[in-house]
Amino acid sequence: MHAMPILTIESAERLLKALEEYLENSEATFALILDRGGAILSQQGEIPPATDPVIFAALAAGSFAATHELALRIGETEFSALHQQGKRWHVLMTAINDNTMLVTVFGLKTTLGLVRFYSTTAVKRIAVILEHAANEPRIPIDLGTEATDASHEVFVESFRRG
Amino acid sequence: MSIINYVNKEIQFKIVYYGPALCGKTTNLTYIHSQVSEVHKGELVSLATAADRTLFFDFLPLNAVVVKGFKTKFQLYTVPGQVIYNATRQLVLRSVDGVVFVGDSQWDKMEENIESFKNLEENLVRQGTSLDQIPYVLQYNKRDLANPAPVHYLDFVLNNRSMRAPSFVGIATTGQGVFATLNAISRLLLQKFARENESAGAKQQSHATPTTATTALSGIAAAAARR
Repeated sequence: MHAMPILTIESAERLLKALEEYLENSEATFALILDRGGAILSQQGEIPPATDPVIFAALAAGSFAATHELALRIGETEFSALHQQGKRWHVLMTAINDNTMLVTVFGLKTTLGLVRFYSTTAVKRIAVILEHAANEPRIPIDLGTEATDASHEVFVESFRRG
Repeated sequence: MSIINYVNKEIQFKIVYYGPALCGKTTNLTYIHSQVSEVHKGELVSLATAADRTLFFDFLPLNAVVVKGFKTKFQLYTVPGQVIYNATRQLVLRSVDGVVFVGDSQWDKMEENIESFKNLEENLVRQGTSLDQIPYVLQYNKRDLANPAPVHYLDFVLNNRSMRAPSFVGIATTGQGVFATLNAISRLLLQKFARENESAGAKQQSHATPTTATTALSGIAAAAARR
């Protein structure tokens, strides 16, 4: 079994479907499934303008990790959810399992109660999909000599500014 | 560990720049950010104090080469170097794929270099891993300052494990050695990824009928084509 799921087409589609239904029920705007290191496993919905999901994910994972440490410091095993309230946008972060978390962005069209209510079901469903995905065999990608050639530069000149 | 997404055809890696306070970790990321074209980079995010000292982390997402149709994405993080922020360093190290250890070449920083390297080893052990399992490279930074320690001495104190890691001299403020370091760690990560894939493929072939792997891959290609 792998520590992290392998996102085959099938498991990725299951995750997308789960997020789609969650957003529909909760009337939230945007949802992300992240590994706790900050990498995005799946995302669905419309992200608020000018928001880079990759950066959003890194910051959310950092924030959730810091909250987790706070919980440990006062003798809790974990704060399983974290809510951040703004004027127009709110964020709810919920633990899925030890390695992953669900981040939901929602606006004025819905309420925290409704989002929390549906997130409970969504998290359970996503946890099952991820567990299944984690047990899937790794499908080899033959990177060939392009990746293993010792003289190869990953960040070649063309990546630099002209 | 690296994350493979067959839908987006992406492989993501997390690289953490580690080292003592004020050794130049953030300067490495700032230089990289200033040099890479807009289409290949995201925003450089710094969670810093008012005095520009890293409080939580710096973060820079980069898109690199496309290998066999898979986009490679590298997420660069720095840790706060100050001793008091060890809990934060542990958080940033979570799910790390590769490490760049930035050492300060000044003689009076040797003790801090050694302490920070030991701290890295300890924090990796807490995460259930070690430098034997994670690719890492060393950068001896601040070579432009007066009377830096010789490279062989830095190798002696910091690069003395049974398997020596690639090491580079650097002046991160001018960019010297910055991309050489980044390319080296990225290459090591891709090589490790390729090795792991080879062994995963070999295992699958020994457990399955000869057509299974081909069928699975054809299935992915077909499903991807449908999208």
